[in-house]
Parts: sequence; C-alpha cells; structure tokens
Amino acid sequence: MFHPFVLPFSIGFTVMLVVLAVRYAYWLRGLSLVNRKRCLANLFSIQTLRGVSEILRESLLHLKIYKTNPVLGFMHMSLAFGWFLLIVGGKLETWYYTGDFANPIYYAIFFRYFEPVTSGFWMNGVMVFFMDFSLLLVLTGLALALAKRIRKKLVGMQNTTRHSVGNRVALTFLWLIFPLRLMAESATAGQHGGGGFLTASFGEWLFSGTWAASFEVPLWWAYSFSLGLFFLALPFSRYLHIPTEMVLILLKQWDIKQETGFRPQKGLQAFEVHACSSCGVCLDACPGINLAHDAFQASYFVKAVRENREVQSLATSCLNCGACNSACPVGIHLEGLRLDCRSQIFEQSQFNHSYLPVPMVLWRETTEVILYTGCMGRMQPKTSIAFKALLTEAGISFVHIDEKAGVCCGRPLALAGAKDQAVKMMTYNRDLINGHNGKVLVTTCPICYRYFSEEYQLDIPVQHHSQFLWELMNKGLLKREMQTLKLAYHDPCDLGRGSGCYEPPRNVLSAIGQLVANQKERDKALCCGNNLGSLSLTETTRQQITAKTVEVLTQNKPDYIVTACPLCKPTLSKQSRVPVKDLAELLLLTKHHAKGHPVSAQQYQKILDS
Amino acid sequence: MSVRDFGYSVSDQRAVDLDRKMPDELERVYLQEPSLRNCIACGNCAALCSAGSFTGFQFYRLNVLVSRGLLSELAKKAEACMLCGKCQMACPRGVNIRHGIMLMAQL
Repeated sequence: MFHPFVLPFSIGFTVMLVVLAVRYAYWLRGLSLVNRKRCLANLFSIQTLRGVSEILRESLLHLKIYKTNPVLGFMHMSLAFGWFLLIVGGKLETWYYTGDFANPIYYAIFFRYFEPVTSGFWMNGVMVFFMDFSLLLVLTGLALALAKRIRKKLVGMQNTTRHSVGNRVALTFLWLIFPLRLMAESATAGQHGGGGFLTASFGEWLFSGTWAASFEVPLWWAYSFSLGLFFLALPFSRYLHIPTEMVLILLKQWDIKQETGFRPQKGLQAFEVHACSSCGVCLDACPGINLAHDAFQASYFVKAVRENREVQSLATSCLNCGACNSACPVGIHLEGLRLDCRSQIFEQSQFNHSYLPVPMVLWRETTEVILYTGCMGRMQPKTSIAFKALLTEAGISFVHIDEKAGVCCGRPLALAGAKDQAVKMMTYNRDLINGHNGKVLVTTCPICYRYFSEEYQLDIPVQHHSQFLWELMNKGLLKREMQTLKLAYHDPCDLGRGSGCYEPPRNVLSAIGQLVANQKERDKALCCGNNLGSLSLTETTRQQITAKTVEVLTQNKPDYIVTACPLCKPTLSKQSRVPVKDLAELLLLTKHHAKGHPVSAQQYQKILDS
Repeated sequence: MSVRDFGYSVSDQRAVDLDRKMPDELERVYLQEPSLRNCIACGNCAALCSAGSFTGFQFYRLNVLVSRGLLSELAKKAEACMLCGKCQMACPRGVNIRHGIMLMAQL
C-alpha cells in the first residue's frame, strides 16, 4: 500500500511535528518553576478531562464565536470540526476495513485511492456517507470563508485582519486541500466506482470518461502537495494557532498563573501570542477601530509581538479599555500582555515619590463610610457634593479623606507599565484609609475602585458609589419615585469590564427612570475616549472616539446620559448635546424633581450650593 | 552708548536657541510624542497637579526645559509625577502629558 504521491504529505506532516515538538518544548521550559510543577501535578486529574472538553467546545465547535456571531461561528465550526471528522472518520475507516489500528497515517488520508470500492455490512454505507458528509461540511465552511474574503459583511464583520503575504500563501494551500480532495476522490470514484453521495455523483458527472483516467493520479499528487505545503507552513504562520490554542486551553485548565515580565518568546506568553488566530473579532470590538493612525488593535499588536517587530507605538496607543479582552474567543490576556509590554518599553523610567509625607494619625475617627473621591473627583466637585448630600439624606456618617489633598491611587502608573513604582503612593493611601475607623471604603472613581479592590488588600470592603447607593435604596434609606425620565447609561471601562459591576448602577437608574437601550452595552460598551490606559493616542483620535460613543449613547434620544466615572463624565459632556450626569448627581436631582419637569441648570447649581 | 551691566543676564546655556542642535535623546522624545510641541506653557497643568501640591513639580516648566535642551535637569524633575492624568484633562492644547513624562523619566 504505497504510492510516491504520499511523500509530499508525509514529509510536510513529519517536519511539522518535529518543529512543533521543538518549539513547544522550548516554550514549556520557559514556564516558571511553580507553573511547571502545576502542570505535572494536574496532568493526571479531572482538569485534563475538563480541558479536553473545552478543546472540543472551543477549538472544534467554536461555541464562543457562535454565540457572538452565528455565521462566523458556523464558518469556523464547519472548517475545524469538519476536518476533525474527516481525520477521525478516516482512521476508523482504515481500522474497520483492515482490522488493524496501527497503519501508516497517509493510508487513512489517501484511503479512497488504495481502496476505491469498499464493501461490508450496513456499516460500510454509514462510513461512506459519513466521510462525504464531513467533506461537504468543510466545503460549506470554505465557501463561507471565500464569501467572507469577497464581502466581509456577509458574515457580519465590519473589519477583518489584513494578513501578511506568508499567511496568505498558507491560506491558499489550506483552501486548496478540500476541493482537491473532492476532485481526487471523485476521479477515483468515476474510474473505479465506489464513493458516497458526493464523490460518486461528482465522479460520474466529471470523471467517468476514459479520458479522465490520466487525471486521477495527478489530482492525488496535487492533493498531497497542498496538504504537505500547508503542514510545512503551519508552524511558521498564523495557523500555528490551531495546535497552540489546544495546548493553551490545557495550560489554563491546569491552573497556570500569569507570569511576570514581558517574554513573548517563552513560557505562557509564547503560548498566548501564538494561540491568536488573527480572527479579527477584536477589531469590531475596539472603539478606536479605523480612527487611529496606527492600526493598534489587539490582532495587529499580537501579530507584531509574534513576529518580533517594533511594537512601541502599538502598545502605547491602546486605551486599555478591555473591549478586545472580553471579545477574544481564545481568552488571551490582551490587557495584561500590553501592560507587560509597556513595562518593558519604559523599563528606564524612574519615579521617586519619597516626598510624600506619612499621614499623621492622632485620633482614629469612627465612621460608617470612608469616602475617597480620587484625583479626578477633585476636578469635578459636583459628584462629590451630590454623593455627600445623598449620604446625609440617608443618615450615613462619612469622612471624606482626600477632600483637602489627595494622592493618586496608583493605577494610572500601572497602566503606563510602572506598577512597581506606585508603592509609595499606595502606602500613603493605605495609611490614610487605616487612619480612620470605617466600615466601608466608598470611592466615586472606577479606576480607584478597581485598584483598591485588586491590589490594596485592605481590611475593610471597598465599594463603588453606585453599589453603595443601590444598597441604600434597597434598605429603604434613600427613597425615590419613578419619573418620566429617559436615561442612557454609559458603562465605564474599569467598572464594567474591569470589575464586572454592571447591575448596581442600572438598578439605581431603573428605580428613577426608564433606561434606554443602545447597541453597545455592558461588556461591549465603547470607551469614552479618555481612558488613562492610552499614552500616545492623539487628542484628535480621542475626540473621534468620544464622538462615536456619544452617537451610540444618544441613539434613543435620552433626557440624560448617566455615567459613574469622573473621567467619562467630562469627556462625554464636551461633545454631547444631551446633558451628562454622574449617577449620584442624578439621584440628588430627582429628589428635587417635579414629575416630568427637569431641573434647569441654574436651579441645579442652587441645589448643589445649598 | 554702552549697556550698563547690572550683573543680571540670560546665561547662554538657558537661552532658547532655535539654531542649536538638540541632544538626540530630546529629539527622540519629540519624535515619539509630537504633541509636546503644542504646549504653550499656559500653566493649567500645574494648577491642579497632585504632585505639585507636595513639590515644585510643574509640567509646563519641564516642557520648557526640553525646548532649552537642558537634559540633565529633566529626568530628575520628572520623577515626582504620579501620572494621574488630571493635567491632560485640563490641557487646552491636547498634549499627551503622561506619555511625555514617561519619555522624560527615561532620560
């Protein structure tokens, strides 16, 4: 059972296996000692089975993509799962007919050439049908992929990744494999009989004449060549994502922790950047798509990292709003990857905050709420005033610890890649907070909220003011009547995607008015354009992003745009014709609201002043 | 008539000299963050600076140091910044101050 045409495939396949083994061994060796131990400890555990089931769901069926975009999901599913069925079916077929499981790999691939006509019990019919059905499934996916190249909107995508020449060549080989398989099997079926519903009818239609006999072997050669060349290109192109994604899923199931530093050619980060398929799902999610001078989107950033190219401007432009992170079907830690990259870029940047005094504590005042309004809060005192008025209304005692002078929470430094240098500021804030005997720390800034809850390890719980206000309303301490207000809520990046807090602000707003929906909500929300995550995005681009966000928010003609972030609020109000208010401000306003008659700007100022 | 010398004059080193070749490091700072050139030293950034309330840190002065080509003082002064970004919200010229600081602190 041998024909020289199996050689291109066999050589390509073997080279691919060797290269993959070498690269994976190198990357695995780059894992930290702790992580390597975790791998070994969890290798024979239920986690591995969970990993296999996730591989089935995500690498083959692509359920996550299916949920966000059914057509795109079906395309990926039919290509991946269809090919998988062909491989499994081929193996079963050879096993069934030869009674021997261990036969050369090429035998299953080119089985129809060696055994054109198979016979058996009813199982034979099932096998033949199954193989042709799987091939048809792949060809359907291929047709969709072709349609996507010609018109991406057909599969519901606004933007697709621009691929390099090497990747396009690899793509061509991949696309040629399946039509060539169909042609080769049909030619054999036309000449020698056999074949299933697809190959037999194709064979009869195209290759039944005696003239077609000379086409049979060349077609099998072409099929073998396209397979071999694709496998040769795989470890050096974006198609490396196919095996790498599976390994990454296993690594995650084995509870591998994120590693420190930026080492994309080694360890976990190597698996992450090579698991990216450049599918382009992150492009449509990005608020800055098609606006910035550089295409800095995650897909391009990861590609540049993979190819070891200059990434400075790609890494510093991004707003770090996290939209790509939550859209990524592979679950790559894109936010973390960028921050690690920034810390490498700005390795030399030295800060020194030793001028900060040690807050003096003479008396630990007991209070219910320790209020921290943050740097940005100081620029817009209205939110703080309104929130404090609400606390007074509810009869809650509070101490505003950064009313006179404040120090940054440290997240902006971390966003710039200098996380280690925020230590002094964090110590100052921690001392300031611990200098009061409070039950809960409430902050009006989502950036501070995220950093306090993730990094500070305080003794008391941390809440964002939207969460605290909803608790007060729930307890009946703040009473509001339903009003005829149409409200559009803007999810701040660090509150929504960053901290998973979507419901409390919506609950508060639903109690005082009608929340109007828009296209991009919750984890798909657009950034206001002024996220501190971006270092080098130009003012013009930021303003364009803001314009887009305001447009989406005002789609359903709300009376107010409401947000819960001292960065989003001024940014949006610079461009919005609809008034932009903080949650606390609106809640205070509704206290003085006669039904259906919004408070004028002067009246509002009076309310705040009183 | 000769100009009387009161003992005060602009030292050559601190004079703005547009013809002078800038140190390469500073050229690179401008290249990586071109918006620094938009600064008109209006002082908005210093008016609300957190670091400025503890030290004499003022971003617009730092930026003047760049245009004077005074490399040595820059990095030392930039290290006080907390990078909180209030200045950027107040800047009427759209300067990416935080990026500028990150680049200056590298020098």
